[in-house]
Amino acid sequence: MDLDKLLEIGNQCIHSEPPVCVASCPVHMDVIAFVHEIEKGNFAGAYKIMEQKIPFSRLIGKICDHPCETLCVRKGVGGSIRISELEKTVIDLGYTIPKKPLLLPKNKGNIAIIGGGLSGCVAAVELNKKGYKVTIYEKTDRIGGSLWEYEGKGLETAVIKEELLVIEKKGISICYNTEVLEENLYSYRGKYDALYLGAGEWSKAYRINPETFQVENSSLFIGGKIQSHNHSVIMSLSSGKRAAVSIDRYITKTSMLASREREGIFETKLTYKIDNVKPIDVVVKSSHNYSENEAKDEASRCLKCQCDACIKACVHMQRYNITPDRYIRSICHNERIVLGNRTANTMINSCTECGLCKEVCPIGIGMADIIHATRESMVERGKMPLSAHDFALKDMQYSQSDYFSLVRKQPSKEASKNLFYYPVIAFSAYARGLYKGSGKTGYLFYPGCQLSSTHADYIGDIYKHLVGVIKDKDADNDVGLYLGCCGAPADWAGRFDLMPESVQKIHKTWEEMGEPTFILACSSCASTFEKYLPMIKTLSLWEVFDTYGLPEVDIKKGKRELCIHDACATRHNSALHESVRSIVKTLGYSIHELEYSKEKAKCCGYGGLVSCANPEQAEDFVKDRISESEADVLVYCAMCKDAIVKGNKRAYHILDIIYGNEINQDSPQKMPTLSERQNNRKHLKQRLLKEIWGEEVMNTENIYNFTLHISEDVFAILEKRFILVSDIEKVIDNAITKKERFFNPQTLHYLARLRLQNVTYWVKYAEEGTDIFIKDVYSHRMEVVEG
Amino acid sequence: MKDHIETTTAWVCDKCDKALVSQKVKVRYLEGNFEVDLLKCPECNMVFIGEDLALGKILEVEKSLEDK
Ligand code: SF4
Ligand code: SF4
Ligand code: SF4
Ligand SMILES: [Zn+2]
Repeated sequence: MDLDKLLEIGNQCIHSEPPVCVASCPVHMDVIAFVHEIEKGNFAGAYKIMEQKIPFSRLIGKICDHPCETLCVRKGVGGSIRISELEKTVIDLGYTIPKKPLLLPKNKGNIAIIGGGLSGCVAAVELNKKGYKVTIYEKTDRIGGSLWEYEGKGLETAVIKEELLVIEKKGISICYNTEVLEENLYSYRGKYDALYLGAGEWSKAYRINPETFQVENSSLFIGGKIQSHNHSVIMSLSSGKRAAVSIDRYITKTSMLASREREGIFETKLTYKIDNVKPIDVVVKSSHNYSENEAKDEASRCLKCQCDACIKACVHMQRYNITPDRYIRSICHNERIVLGNRTANTMINSCTECGLCKEVCPIGIGMADIIHATRESMVERGKMPLSAHDFALKDMQYSQSDYFSLVRKQPSKEASKNLFYYPVIAFSAYARGLYKGSGKTGYLFYPGCQLSSTHADYIGDIYKHLVGVIKDKDADNDVGLYLGCCGAPADWAGRFDLMPESVQKIHKTWEEMGEPTFILACSSCASTFEKYLPMIKTLSLWEVFDTYGLPEVDIKKGKRELCIHDACATRHNSALHESVRSIVKTLGYSIHELEYSKEKAKCCGYGGLVSCANPEQAEDFVKDRISESEADVLVYCAMCKDAIVKGNKRAYHILDIIYGNEINQDSPQKMPTLSERQNNRKHLKQRLLKEIWGEEVMNTENIYNFTLHISEDVFAILEKRFILVSDIEKVIDNAITKKERFFNPQTLHYLARLRLQNVTYWVKYAEEGTDIFIKDVYSHRMEVVEG
Repeated sequence: MKDHIETTTAWVCDKCDKALVSQKVKVRYLEGNFEVDLLKCPECNMVFIGEDLALGKILEVEKSLEDK
């Protein structure tokens, strides 16, 4: 993984970009923190925030010409936030006498300030803070310059005096009635390490660097009105502050320009959309300044502009309270760590790789690909936690084994002879389809492992329907069947080492079958095919239904409203979205579109194997998703249904409404357990072979001479701990035949253990003849060396 | 793995009908190899691991080894 490139992407994230008000404030007062404090009623806190950035804030806050308000995002939706008015109220209600400054030694150098106006005073105070000995030369008998223009017009005389007194209290020397002119400037340059000229008017026009305020490479720096050519109080103040930074850098011989791009007014990269912002008018003052409550109301109009589109949309980022900029940094840290714990592992395995963040990000930053690459890198370096995906990968292996995998051509005409008589041939489209058998497989129905685990009963009917409708219109092309797993779990787990095997197997079948079009019923299969098998043409089952016609099932048409939960893996397949909606409408339902639908679909929590690696995070996803609407949910992915039903929300697979199985609205819905899911796959294969191809299959089931009894409570434990009934059977069988078990004479329970591959399973049970009552099950991966 | 592991129990080995004793036992996971005191049958050496230990300390050590 190229970590530097990754960091570059992270740096594009504008989450930490300041709002436009802060960027256009020459001293960058933190407006959002400021209004937050006001809203809380903490005016002293708000004043502290002004003080952090605004020198002489008690004065400036009353007279600032507020460039921050010009571009405020609120401008078009009620009017700019009156930041300047808020500052006035904050000073009145929140001004606190500053702590006595510590008088530190001033030994970094000697500086002369020519002109005791506003910019000169600011430069003096700032340089004093940095440890310089500062002397102000002022031609009149008072400092403060243009501040006095506001006397009685915003500023009280006493307050001006009190604030300016601070300068001398800090140990800055002031020489009053001392006019410095261009002619004698030279002698001052000899006596001081640097000069700041802020006199307001000057006889000679110097060439001043607009970034550093330096004159050529000399020790002379110029700010204030001579430099800005305007009367802005805040610009003048800002120039004094910035010149002080330059003088310090000049004297300490550090780079004059490094990382100063964002001093003064700058352009923020933040763009804040106001599409959904309701207009609220500016709060009107009932007297001279905002009252406490008026200020709170005005502050609450502030939008607190910040980009958080992705975190708002994604419960994964919410759980870890992280945005892509910091996320990427912790990935890099996790990747680079040599000694110590990789603390971001669980987070990295808790993203569903759903891709929603990329859809909502104004600059298109997506975490899915980044996180995917990170998982692959973890696998490559042997740093992927084994337990995170172990169960899902073993389950995938099961699907790819002979228990489930199956490839068959359409039953031949010869083999189906016994169907070709009246009335079967007249009423069964399937029989007519077989009659037209061409021997050439044009289509291969690939239902996928998950649909076969949870909705096995539909698969045979769908297959027959496909043969009927497709052969009716397209006599040349037969429809075959392929049961298997596309390898999506391995992909999610970052197991690129397992992908070639899965993919090559499918590719080989496709070639052997004469390159048929695959008909897919699972959105994850579709993504895997697109990514690893782009040469194979695929169609979604829903598109096929929509174009060739739905199975004719005698059902009453539904009239209810359903909300459609689009599968996140299909977000860019708008044709599929339309097919699904068209089917739902054909069946008589009305559709409630969710806020996050189609290309903005939210994940159910199954994606990325999150339910395996971090079940709590998976629960967040489903909770978030089902809270979007009251209506029952319609899905077209078996895993989505599983997740939503487990989240206690009524959900129908599109096949449920196609085959009329959503009628019983009051009975609770239940999804098959992990063990049942494996059995369903195995039995599906056996059933289809028998019913459609007339092949008798040997029953490979293990026959044990005991009967397990597992209560619902214990079953819940099994599910939570990813333990299968078949694991328990093996433990018990071993315990009984070899007596490898412990016995508790008090409870009369047995406790037995058996290591299966990389896990040791423990089962506590009671035995009554051949009846075994399971009390508890648990497991660990640590290997115990007995002996 | 040192702290708090049971040293007595009502469980006995069913095959040998022996009370369990606490003894040093080798355990390993990934790159980690440890010796810990665990309850075992003094005759056939079968080691006893209770639910609290499996889902507590052992799980914790497994996780931290996985993150190493
Ligand atoms: S709405 Fe608030 S945060 Fe946004 S620009 Fe205006 S004052 Fe700044
Ligand atoms: S879960 Fe989805 S939205 Fe959240 S970070 Fe991962 S890919 Fe992005
Ligand atoms: S949407 Fe998220 S990733 Fe994109 S810029 Fe905003 S905070 Fe950053
Ligand atoms: Zn024993």
